[in-house]
Amino acid sequence: MEQEAAVDMTEAASSSRSLPPFLRSMGPAVLLLIVLALLPLAGLGPNNIRLLFVTLVWITASVAWNILGGFAGQVSFGFAVFYGLGAYTTAISYNAGMDRFFAILLGALVALLASLLVGLPTFRLKGPYFAIATIGVSEAVRVVMTNLEITGGASGYRIMEQGPFNQHLHYYIALSLAALAVATSMLVRYSKFGLALLSIREDEEAASDLGVNPFRSKLMAHALGAALTGAAGGAFVGYAAFIHPQGVFGFDISVAILLMPIIGGVGTVWGPVIGAVVYGLVHEELIASFPEFHLLLYGLLLILIILFEPGGVMGLVENSFRFVRARSSVGSHS
Amino acid sequence: MAPILKLERLTRYFAGLAAVKDVSFEVEPGGLVGLIGPNGAGKTTLLSLVAGSIRPTSGRIEFEERELTGAKSFQAVRAGIVRTHQIPKPFRTLTVRENVEVGLRFGRQEKAASQIKKTEEVLDMVGIAHLSARPAYLLSVGDLKRLELARALATRPSLLLCDEVCSGLTETETGLILRLLCEIRRAGTTILYVEHNLRAIMSVCDPVIVMNYGQKLTEGAPGAVQNDPSVIEAYIGKKAMM
Repeated sequence: MEQEAAVDMTEAASSSRSLPPFLRSMGPAVLLLIVLALLPLAGLGPNNIRLLFVTLVWITASVAWNILGGFAGQVSFGFAVFYGLGAYTTAISYNAGMDRFFAILLGALVALLASLLVGLPTFRLKGPYFAIATIGVSEAVRVVMTNLEITGGASGYRIMEQGPFNQHLHYYIALSLAALAVATSMLVRYSKFGLALLSIREDEEAASDLGVNPFRSKLMAHALGAALTGAAGGAFVGYAAFIHPQGVFGFDISVAILLMPIIGGVGTVWGPVIGAVVYGLVHEELIASFPEFHLLLYGLLLILIILFEPGGVMGLVENSFRFVRARSSVGSHS
Repeated sequence: MAPILKLERLTRYFAGLAAVKDVSFEVEPGGLVGLIGPNGAGKTTLLSLVAGSIRPTSGRIEFEERELTGAKSFQAVRAGIVRTHQIPKPFRTLTVRENVEVGLRFGRQEKAASQIKKTEEVLDMVGIAHLSARPAYLLSVGDLKRLELARALATRPSLLLCDEVCSGLTETETGLILRLLCEIRRAGTTILYVEHNLRAIMSVCDPVIVMNYGQKLTEGAPGAVQNDPSVIEAYIGKKAMM
């Protein structure tokens, strides 16, 4: 497996074809990263930093989901499991005296192991049956966590902050994670592994008929997505200092993680980032303005996107460009 | 020479119905073997069994003197067996080039008889190089059939299983594909060719295996098979013989 990955890397580096799209998206990415890294130093208020922090956590989870759901086409309604496990593991290890960095790493690891446990039986199912199975797993884990006494059950779990609260520290942790997620997503997209995932999305049987091992590829995509989502949960809990099962294992978390890539453009590198930014910015406003209806609004949004622009924001932008270009070329001919 | 493929009493039931029953035959390396039979004879099922798309209920598959019974399709590909589908199964949103790359990068990696190295070579050979940047969903039926062949060839097979590559094609297109199959065979790949179109198969294949009701009816040179009363009966029925 490692050998294959190493071959991928050298192939990606030596092949003149796979480099350009990779490099092209690298420039803006690095620029964006620098701007985001400088923002807190530019005197941004604590509330804006908090909003950015939450958005970065969403970006990580959204990009992570897209590796499995977008590239490999396996729609999971169960990513809250990994988000929650990452959050709880990080919280418990941090309280036990573990370093914050290693606590988050452990959270990612536990989420990864859980993904294998979920994936081994569920990836034998195809299409909608896989999606339904993930709902079942997600709800089962939530119910267990709600009743598990050692983590405080439904009343939640508190982190004992060691030392004064440092908002910037949490912001930079979330920023690093989001950058890691996007970099991973780019690497996957233009690697041999990514080609396997895309072929599985298009036609699993045909992929297998050409030498792709669909089961193993899906399991790996799931593990990668779960680890990143677990780390996102870990970063979140460090900031929030208090978590409860409904908050991190809730079905609305699973739906949010799936909704963001769809809003932005499922199966693309930047779509999930855009979707997470949209979601992160409007989510709190929506909850505040329509506390009863906000989930209904997301449902409506989902239906509208799937009906009219399955490519999400990315698809919309692409189509508009094409439209403008077509119009201008018609104009020049007449 | 040892046979490249050896089937022993290969059987597959679908809910009590024997789609393939006790079929045994051998394929010599370097051959272009035709597999014919009326609708529902079990040709495609047999192909799927050899390719690992479905598992046999009983019987054995031996490939290059190695046991391959029960191998999954991706394992069969890595061993050197690849199939095409009667109805092309392209990766629709991927480009023609990317479609072929899947076969190239996940197929057999060691050197094989066909010695294909680059995507361009495969696309050129099959005649769709000019379409390489186009997404597969924009291709015509004829080009999809070629893409199906190109992807399969890219896996560097030593045994190519073709399922009706000519169905739905015009006379001219059929001729081109048949010539291509002969070329592939000359390059060293053994071919097992399932076809409905008798004229197509009789013109290029030797020997020809005939199936009916899931069983092997007969096997032999095209001329001999064509005049075999049992074959005529299977295709046309008893009455017409009189």
